[in-house]
This record gives sequence, structure tokens and C-alpha cells, in this order.
Amino acid sequence: MAKEKLSDVEFGEELSAFEPDTTLATGAEFADLVGWIREDGAKNRFNSHEAAKKEGLPGAFIPGILSQGYLVSMIHQWAPPAEIKKVDTVFRSPVIADVKHSITGVVTDIDEDEGLVEIDLTVVNDKGETRIFGTASVRLPQ
Amino acid sequence: MSEQQELDTDIQEAREEFLGVEFDSVEFDLQPSHTIKYATLCGETQERFLDENHPDFQAPPTFVASLSGGRYLPEGYPRFGGVSMDAGKGVESLEPIRPPLKLIGKSHIHDIFTKTGRSGRMVFTVTRLEFYTEDGIHVANSDSRQVSRERG
Repeated sequence: MAKEKLSDVEFGEELSAFEPDTTLATGAEFADLVGWIREDGAKNRFNSHEAAKKEGLPGAFIPGILSQGYLVSMIHQWAPPAEIKKVDTVFRSPVIADVKHSITGVVTDIDEDEGLVEIDLTVVNDKGETRIFGTASVRLPQ
Repeated sequence: MSEQQELDTDIQEAREEFLGVEFDSVEFDLQPSHTIKYATLCGETQERFLDENHPDFQAPPTFVASLSGGRYLPEGYPRFGGVSMDAGKGVESLEPIRPPLKLIGKSHIHDIFTKTGRSGRMVFTVTRLEFYTEDGIHVANSDSRQVSRERG
């Protein structure tokens, strides 16, 4: 059930798991949007597995800031009125395009005076390997 | 003076010279179509990020992480002897950003610190891009952390 106010949230509760769209097509479209693809469409680590492998990488990457965006979208699906005050991410290993990933989140603190909720977030691949850690501070209506 | 103290001296000197000193300023022209596409690709489902006619329309909070200044580091910033890698990103939202609008991004070194592991010292540099409206309202911060891993 979507969270509408602070009192709906319980310490230690887990957010519904989120499966981000980590297809190469989406990663490449995003990279193009933020200017990481040359105007001539040249292949690079964000739009081509082959180009990434030529750089010695296991495959094309999903841009880190797209993964950061997934974390925030997940929070908004869990609590639609949530205002994101801070989000911090540590890119431990690349998120490889066309590999299924999932995001989990858990509430680690509730500040009832400030109306703030702290959430730990983790992006893992289909082998259960952690790719990204994140923490977010969000404000919910009292 | 021990080796560690000597190593820390270079960090102290860099902090004194560079922390908090603005080294870049860039103007960004934000359009609704751009932030809406950004939100869509991130999987956002809330109408306030997707419909420019929504009364609370705004850019998704992490959008500012996609904006970069003309320079990442100030001129003369030390290399600290190692290859630099992306160590993470952080965003702080202070006010909703409502396109269309212009933002001014001002960059400074926000922090320099070290961690020492088995493979040697790692130097972390946090570059902060502060975003202001044309009226001077501070709306967001975007931090980029780079780590230089020195050979032990």
C-alpha cells in the first residue's frame, strides 16, 4: 500500500522490490539525452556491448546517474508524496545493460520531529551481486 | 615527522588552497520536454514530474546530477599520484526546480579527505556544483566524488 504520510511508515520496513529497465536501448537513450553519445552516434560504452568489450569491460554500462534516478522513482512509487531531500550513491561496480537487476530498500530511521525518513537502497544483479549502494533522506507529510 | 604526517600535509595544503573557492560558473537552460524525458527514462510514475501542466510540475530531484560545469577540477589541482575514478554521486534538493527556467551552476571543491587501505592511500575529492536561479535562490547541490588510489 502506498505511503501517504509519516505515520504510515514503520522502522525497518522494506520497500516493494523494483525492477529497473536496464535494457541497452534505455541506457543508450538516456546517455544520449545527457550528452554522453556523440552527435554522429558513434558507439561507446553506453550504447554498444561490442564497443564496451573493446575497452576491456564486460558489456555496455547503464549510466550511474540513471541508476540514481531509478532509486528515486522507486521511492516515489512506495510513497508518492515523498520529497527527496538527499540521495547519495556509491557506484561499487557497473550495472551492465541487458542484465536483470533489482533494487531493494529498507527504512533505517524515522525522525518524527522533522518528518524525515532515512532509507538504505541496494542495486543487485541477477547473481545477487551488489552494484550500487544508496541512502536517501525523504520528507513525508506529518 | 612520520611518513603519514608528511602525506597528510599535502592534503592539508590542498584543503587550504582549494576548499570553498569557486572555480567555474555555467548557465543551464532547462526545458520541460528535457526533464520529462529524463523522468520517463528513470521510470518515474508521478505526474508532477511527467506533466508540465501539473500544478506542482518540477524536474526529478536527481536531474541536476546530469548537469556538469565547464571544468571538473580547478586549475593547478594536484593529481595525488594515482588514476582517478568515479566514487559516487550525491544530490541535495533545497527547492523544487520548475522548468522552463535558467539555472546558474557554481563549482567548488567541497571536501578532500583520505582513507588508507591495504593497497595504500586513497584520496577523495568532492566537487560540489551549487545551483541557483537567476534570482539567486539556491535550489540544489550536486556532489561528485572522485578517488585517486595511490600505489602503496
